[in-house]
Amino acid sequence: MASESVPIRLQGVTQRYRVISERPDTIRELFSRFFRHKTSYHDFDALKDINLTVARGEMLGIVGRNGSGKSTLLKIIAGVYRPTAGRVEVTGTVAPLIELGAGFHHELTGRENILLNGLLLGYSKREMLGRQDRIIEFADIGDFIDAPVKQYSSGMYTRLAFAVATEVDPDILVVDEILAVGDMPFQAKCFEKLKRFRAAGKTILLVTHSMDQVLKFCDRAVYLERGQFLFDGEPEQAVQLYRDRATPEEPVLIEVASR
Amino acid sequence: MNELVRETYRYRELIWALAMKELKIRYKRSVLGFLWALLNPMLLMLVLSVVFSTIMKINIPHYAIFLLSVLLPWTFFSQSLSYAVESIVGNADLIKKVRVAKLVFPVAAVASNMINLLLSIIPLALIVVLMGHPFHLTWIYLPVPLLALTIFTLGATFFFAAANVYYRDVAHILQIVLQAWFYITPIIYSIDFFPEKYRWIFKLNPIQFVLNGFRLSVYYGLLPTPESIFASFLCAFIALFIGFAVFRRHQNDFVFYV
Repeated sequence: MASESVPIRLQGVTQRYRVISERPDTIRELFSRFFRHKTSYHDFDALKDINLTVARGEMLGIVGRNGSGKSTLLKIIAGVYRPTAGRVEVTGTVAPLIELGAGFHHELTGRENILLNGLLLGYSKREMLGRQDRIIEFADIGDFIDAPVKQYSSGMYTRLAFAVATEVDPDILVVDEILAVGDMPFQAKCFEKLKRFRAAGKTILLVTHSMDQVLKFCDRAVYLERGQFLFDGEPEQAVQLYRDRATPEEPVLIEVASR
Repeated sequence: MNELVRETYRYRELIWALAMKELKIRYKRSVLGFLWALLNPMLLMLVLSVVFSTIMKINIPHYAIFLLSVLLPWTFFSQSLSYAVESIVGNADLIKKVRVAKLVFPVAAVASNMINLLLSIIPLALIVVLMGHPFHLTWIYLPVPLLALTIFTLGATFFFAAANVYYRDVAHILQIVLQAWFYITPIIYSIDFFPEKYRWIFKLNPIQFVLNGFRLSVYYGLLPTPESIFASFLCAFIALFIGFAVFRRHQNDFVFYV
């Protein structure tokens, strides 16, 4: 019997993408490819054999350069991806804030999206209507709440998305860079909220390029490079590693699709 | 199949919200809004009456009712498919960011069109009264063919929605298929127009059994034979079984292809 359930446990997780080099250059090439059933592709491991355990009440920072696998990791934890190999155990409800607008429909108003988003996350209509006022208050976007979200600025989008994700009171909150879009007062408000979340025993995963945020708020940090953890431990050391390895002399991006 | 029922029930509120969203967007910025669902069949009837009774001189009494009784359910079927085929690809933004049961999208597409179909029964009844066609008691039988039609449509939508994730050509091919299917199905005509020895050809078309009950009960005031009812549900469940099996098998990979 497991004595204490751990909210997040990943064992040997690998995520493989098939990168298809599309766009045949000529029509002839297109046809010849079509008839010979030859598509050029190569496999690429966005994450390689990842092991990770995150405890209750822990705020984990995930740092690394673009293309290192941070978002893929979050998507696996949020249940959006089912990994190619490995075991994923996630206990409790997850609210993902992945990329801008955690699943908003741009033709619907902010208010309608609160409901839709809550239903998507698995909450009932009644629960969402009960939380609606608090969400609107936290988002603090005024009359825009009744305008279609396609008219929102990216800051408003973020405000609303963050408000929904935190007010539904999930066990695990997954935040992918999006806080960078909010203005300073809103960011402060968000981190205030995150702190209270952690104090309440919730688990938070934070992907960010702001090393200050990692140092200031995270209990622990991992450094990802080419789909592998190069470091897992004290935020100071993870940040140091990030700063050392992100110097311009280093190759900045992983190589992309060679045909 | 259990999974389908369970998940549909579990996500009923989400499906409803998605269906309403679809309708809202469809009628957005139109002055009459939802009224179009009622007006469409009325206007269609007007056109049909003029074309078929006055210009083409078809001698089927109350041809508009003869036609609409099958055309409205057919429209539900073809519209559901046209919407659902894009339902996974079109909701890529949601699928890529939130963990959600993928079946809610095609089911919502069918649900929104079902609302349209149910609304269009009102003008159909109105037309029956206006044209002085007898209002048959067999109208109360309509929920039975409606059920068979819904099951059949769901099966088809699951299949096409899944296939379109991998080959976007599917959405285009579907439009052609629907066009052809419309003409080989007894909608604007009846099987009875053909000599007995050719009628078996129409029996190869599964949706024919499903649609049959509508015309019989609304236009003729008759009930289908037990064999015909059995055939309609058999076709419907086979479609659902195959369609959902394909969808289920691939649903976890959709996110990588949308």
